[in-house]
Amino acid sequence: MRHLADFPRWYGDVTESTGPARFARRSLLKAAVLGQPDEPEYPPLGTGVDAAWAATRALVYTVTGRILDVSPHILVLGTAWGEQRFLLDPATQAWRGGPTAPAALRRGDHAIARRRYPGGPVVDRIWAEVGRVTGTIAEREGPAALLVDEGPAKGRKLVIIGAEAGGRIQVRFPRLEPGYLIDVIGVKHDGYLQALIPATSQPPYPADHPPTPPLVSGHVPDPVSGTAVWHEPGEEPEDLLGLAYPALDPETSCEHAGFAPQECSGDPHATGPGCVRLPYLSVGSLLWLRNDCAERTRQLPVTSCGATARLFCDRCVTCGTSRKGRIADLTMATFVELGGILEAGCFNATMTIGG
Amino acid sequence: MLAAARELQIPLLAVILLGGCAAKAWRAWRSHSVTEGMGPTGLFPVHMRRPIMLAVFVTELGLGLGLIITASKIGAGPPTSHGLPATIVRAGSTLFFLIATGALNEMRQRRPAAGCGCFGELSGTPVGLRPIARSGLLCVAAAATIGLPPLRMPSSATTAEMWLAVLAFELSLIAFLSPELGEILVRLGYSEPCELRRLPVERTMAALHASSPWRRYAGQISSAAPIDVWREGCWRFVVYAGVARGRRVDIVFAVYLQPRRPVIRAAVLDAYTDEVLGLAETRESAAIR
Repeated sequence: MRHLADFPRWYGDVTESTGPARFARRSLLKAAVLGQPDEPEYPPLGTGVDAAWAATRALVYTVTGRILDVSPHILVLGTAWGEQRFLLDPATQAWRGGPTAPAALRRGDHAIARRRYPGGPVVDRIWAEVGRVTGTIAEREGPAALLVDEGPAKGRKLVIIGAEAGGRIQVRFPRLEPGYLIDVIGVKHDGYLQALIPATSQPPYPADHPPTPPLVSGHVPDPVSGTAVWHEPGEEPEDLLGLAYPALDPETSCEHAGFAPQECSGDPHATGPGCVRLPYLSVGSLLWLRNDCAERTRQLPVTSCGATARLFCDRCVTCGTSRKGRIADLTMATFVELGGILEAGCFNATMTIGG
Repeated sequence: MLAAARELQIPLLAVILLGGCAAKAWRAWRSHSVTEGMGPTGLFPVHMRRPIMLAVFVTELGLGLGLIITASKIGAGPPTSHGLPATIVRAGSTLFFLIATGALNEMRQRRPAAGCGCFGELSGTPVGLRPIARSGLLCVAAAATIGLPPLRMPSSATTAEMWLAVLAFELSLIAFLSPELGEILVRLGYSEPCELRRLPVERTMAALHASSPWRRYAGQISSAAPIDVWREGCWRFVVYAGVARGRRVDIVFAVYLQPRRPVIRAAVLDAYTDEVLGLAETRESAAIR
């Protein structure tokens, strides 16, 4: 069996200590050798610059932190840059397991908020303790507790389905059995997610047998349309602007043999290309993503491996019906930045890879 | 002529029924789901789809085998005598294709985006008029076989030629009415585009080390192994640390991902200022621009 240390240091993801600057430099090197500038919206990061920190400066709508104080008119967040105050108005919406009044949010809750205008002081929406688990059911413990495998990088998470949400989730996920897929949104607790909302409908096939995608005639279309979803930060910086891409180069990225622990069930890397054929990219590649519902577009770097997204051949119906398949698994901050509604779980997206 | 055309329908229908059955079984085995992509069963409630799909599968298999078994003297002949089994099988085939025609028509109206699933994963295109017409044609063909005497080999060369002519015409008609044919042709001539093709890093490195840009810059490279390797679409990039005229540089190679004689480009950048100090490429590079 091969170990992680056996691989040269160019395998990895954006969370590794030497990674961010190296990955950010890739677009510059590519432009130098191919003569195709990527025209990044924010300046390329130089050697030694903390890429994750610099990327957060590009968040103009989104702010994350811990709630220090909240009243009907003021929200105080403890962010990575210190204490920040935001104005609330009667139109501000809040979510904590369901719609609630902003003043009902609790001190100490982890929150993600969206400003009404870029860099403005007024907050439009606040989500508190929102979480999501997407993956393959590894074990079922009793009628309401599931151990879900989110892939080799993220490991396993415990999901508890509350009695009040059981019927709602069971309708969309009729097979809560090991080997089948689940995708639920809810409230984060210490060590588990309290599932409240089904984020999609359960695919009828087992996780290790997704449908084969249609063959591509000529080249892969660019831009490509589909569904964009979000994931919890995990070990990534919570303000990271970027996405987990479903088709990283299997030779040099997270799919490389030896990364998946043996106990991992339903390794998404071993299940083929999924139901959308996407060009192989790497961590650090830049692409443009458009939220077709909010009509908001950003240039984003690929920051991690999103192989789990390949297992889902669903459609998003946030605004019309999207094409089948998940093309991007955004960080939570990016999803909010692009105008997504976290409890909706997805938005219809168009991705442009060229450049 | 008419008798020859009627006799021909029995083996033709048997092959189509068994082929459809095998294609469905192949798809179910590959997806581990009996109901995955199985066309008209999607019109029914979830709990009924699996038994209905199994019933369709068993019916196709039974009718296909039944048509073959009863084609000879064992079961053929007028329904009033020993030909009752053949009549039952052939009437059953007629009824099967009649129901299929109605179901496909219903599906076209209620689930226009779904494929018919008639031949498993080859039948993924949305149901149009052609599969419905094909099903109707097969229904007529099955009805035409009722009451036929036992099949026998053609008695003369002229009869055999007539058989072949009718067979060619009918196969052409069925091919015209089958969207699956286009899918089969695509699969036969398919070549994966470069952005989807898996190519080992070792092959990229071998091609790079045999190239003229590599020979040009090999003397400046100071690291034994690449400091970064990554891929974007049809290109794989390989970066080495180096020294040029006393300055620390990064030498980046771009290798086009094709199995033979790939286009290779190179650039030398100052490691601190990112100033481009030199460029090189293989002669074929112009074709990729």
